[in-house]
Amino acid sequence: MSLIRHLLVIAILFGASVSSGASAQSNSLARSDRASTTSSVPAEVLVVLAKEEPGDIDPQLKKLTALRRPPFNSFRSMKILSRPKLKLTPGKDALVSLPNGRRMKLTLLRVMPDGRYKVKAAINRPNKSDYLPLLQVVASAGDPFFVAGQTYQGGTLVVGVIVDPKKTAQ
Amino acid sequence: MESPKTEDDRLQMFFDGELAPEEEAAVRRDLEGSPEGAAQLHEWEQLRQAMKGVSTDWAANVDSDALFARIESEINAPVVPIERPKQEQPVLRVVPGGRERRVWGGVATGFAAAAAIFLAVMAWPESHLDPAPAARGSEVVEVDFGSNTGTIFEVEGGAGESLAVIWIDDEEVGLP
Repeated sequence: MSLIRHLLVIAILFGASVSSGASAQSNSLARSDRASTTSSVPAEVLVVLAKEEPGDIDPQLKKLTALRRPPFNSFRSMKILSRPKLKLTPGKDALVSLPNGRRMKLTLLRVMPDGRYKVKAAINRPNKSDYLPLLQVVASAGDPFFVAGQTYQGGTLVVGVIVDPKKTAQ
Repeated sequence: MESPKTEDDRLQMFFDGELAPEEEAAVRRDLEGSPEGAAQLHEWEQLRQAMKGVSTDWAANVDSDALFARIESEINAPVVPIERPKQEQPVLRVVPGGRERRVWGGVATGFAAAAAIFLAVMAWPESHLDPAPAARGSEVVEVDFGSNTGTIFEVEGGAGESLAVIWIDDEEVGLP
């Protein structure tokens, strides 16, 4: 009887190891390609009006040191016009209205094996493709990419997109 | 002048009685003409006599007729199938409990070892399996500027990472 109990314990331990192994394997798979399993990823769009005239730099932008380097270093003032937060769902477009009437369309394509996000972006007027028909970017969590150059109210629009802003890459 | 080998061959043929009578007489004359040759001839004669004696003695001890008769009788003998004695089936016996436990204990130990190895492999930290360092920054994979002109910049971020900047020239667009 003790022998049967002994074998039962071993079988239970083995079963537990198999299930934990399967779990670990599924985690590994999820890491390699999370596009099929990721429900949504938070993102933030920073719409900034930059001008060459001397003025204030929005204090919220001071931590973005990239905006003080070329090609942005010619701007003397920067003002945040909007800072919409959205969720990027694989295969679904997320729209952000820009102050110049154009709309930015963002789509999460997939999560790369190294954890970065592959994002598709387009900026156009509704039902038009007059400005930026297609852009594909790979970005790590918390690191922005910028689309700049649209003229607006005597200044230039600088649009920064940050995927998974609260998470920073290791 | 003959080579030594040829001389040896001649001597060998002389003792084997294979030389022509004239040549045999000439060899014998040569051997008997010198003390060394005579001594060698005498020595070889002794050796031949000794071998002949041994051969005769061995042949006398063997009854060749009886030997061949025995071989012939064994060849012609009928084939008799060999019947092996039937072995009785071993009687089933009760294995002592201690032995049974040893057997099951071995199986259980092997099973546990396999489970432990499996567990160790699966529970190995994933960082060992995925040594690729985490990438930082952002980069452009593909861009279509449409009818506009544009430039792609790489700007250094606060942590030294490279950030992508897509700069597109356009004219101000009024509200629709």
